[in-house]
Amino acid sequence: MTSRTQFEQELDNLKLELIKMGDQVVSNIKEGLSSFLTLNIALAEKTIASDQLINEAEHQIQRDCMRVILREQPVAKDLRLIAAILKMITDLERIGDHAADISKMTIKMERIKRPYPIKQFNRMSEASMAMIQKALDAFVQRNLILAEEVINADDEVDALFDETEKTVAEALRKNEIDPDYALYAMMVAKYFERISDHAVNIGEWVIFSITGEHKHNLIF
Amino acid sequence: MPIPYVFDIENLNLFYGDKMALKNINLQIRKNEVTAFIGPSGCGKSTLLRCLNRMNDLIDGCRTEGKIRYAGNNIDDRDFDVIDLRTIVGMVFQKANPFPMSIYDNVAYGPRCQGVKDKHILEGIVKKALTEAALYDEVKDRLRESATSLSGGQQQRLCIARAIAMSPQVILMDEPTSALDPIATAKIEELIKELKKEYTIIIVTHNMQQAARISDRTAFFLLGELVEFAETETLFSHPKNPKTEDYITGRFG
Repeated sequence: MTSRTQFEQELDNLKLELIKMGDQVVSNIKEGLSSFLTLNIALAEKTIASDQLINEAEHQIQRDCMRVILREQPVAKDLRLIAAILKMITDLERIGDHAADISKMTIKMERIKRPYPIKQFNRMSEASMAMIQKALDAFVQRNLILAEEVINADDEVDALFDETEKTVAEALRKNEIDPDYALYAMMVAKYFERISDHAVNIGEWVIFSITGEHKHNLIF
Repeated sequence: MPIPYVFDIENLNLFYGDKMALKNINLQIRKNEVTAFIGPSGCGKSTLLRCLNRMNDLIDGCRTEGKIRYAGNNIDDRDFDVIDLRTIVGMVFQKANPFPMSIYDNVAYGPRCQGVKDKHILEGIVKKALTEAALYDEVKDRLRESATSLSGGQQQRLCIARAIAMSPQVILMDEPTSALDPIATAKIEELIKELKKEYTIIIVTHNMQQAARISDRTAFFLLGELVEFAETETLFSHPKNPKTEDYITGRFG
């Protein structure tokens, strides 16, 4: 039976806001890739505009976190939770930027006549979106095992990036791929690789929120 | 090298008549540290504080079992003079209680009781005590004025000066700032941080943020038991006992 019902409610609201921000980010990644693969300019522009929602969510959550710190003077696990949220929204915002960057590649490709199928993209997109969702699940459930799984899942995306590079290089050598497309495709692959790096960061902050350790260093 | 414990409390039980108010307390207070006692109302923290200068002797029906050692000596021993104890272990209360006399006479009262008569020596003691209590500059031109003319915060610092004038080793403080405004509270908290260089301080407080701000070690009490005792930063970041975490996060209390 808690004496701090309002405080508990505020913490629950912060978690909800974080989940919603995560959902928006995942949606933007999905649409970003879709726009690239289908050369859908309209969808690309919509996705770039949606990034604004993510930026606004970051600001709102920052405001709400600062207000809770000011008014409630949290200690121990509550302080860890709020500090972790402040860090995680930074990574989510950067992921949102990269989703928008993928859409910007789509717009650059307007003049491309010959898209080249890169099979790793779907897998990279699924893997990185799954990492983000698993990290947020780990946060809400306070589940260390899930958080560790997120950190380990990065290897797969890194491997897919290397495969993409080899595939594109080979296609260039055989003159099977438009060189501009090849460059845009590598950019997209890099953005996915960065997205999964940020998902790993989120996993590491989830671990901090539970144990007080960040990358095995005791912080608080 | 042995750790300098000022107080060593061993298996302490305390009864008010039939009611057991302290249960098996084991606690060591270290020299030149500020130790905070926290816990909900009725947990026994003020009762324990009053054991350390045997103020509980004044309460009918109050008896103890176990040992409290000051610098290795059992304070309940017949050989340990209780007046000496209360000289070594000073006390400041929640409501400042200046005597109805001048500022000067308040601080000089204790030394005079001890037989100090020389005016110059008394003046020296009063000035030093008021200076250490961060009050001298504010009152130096009106030492002969009544102590009751001072503000609440100043009266509390006067009470601290009065305790210091006896050259204690330990100062006990029972919620010393709960009747004061934020600025007066801040001045006393700053003072406590300075005083610990010379004295050992034990403070009972309802204000957890205060305990977090000024204490080196914090003891959490609940229903007469010592639940957890740790370095303050550890207790407020990684308490070992879930009851401690529930209390400090306000989930119960």
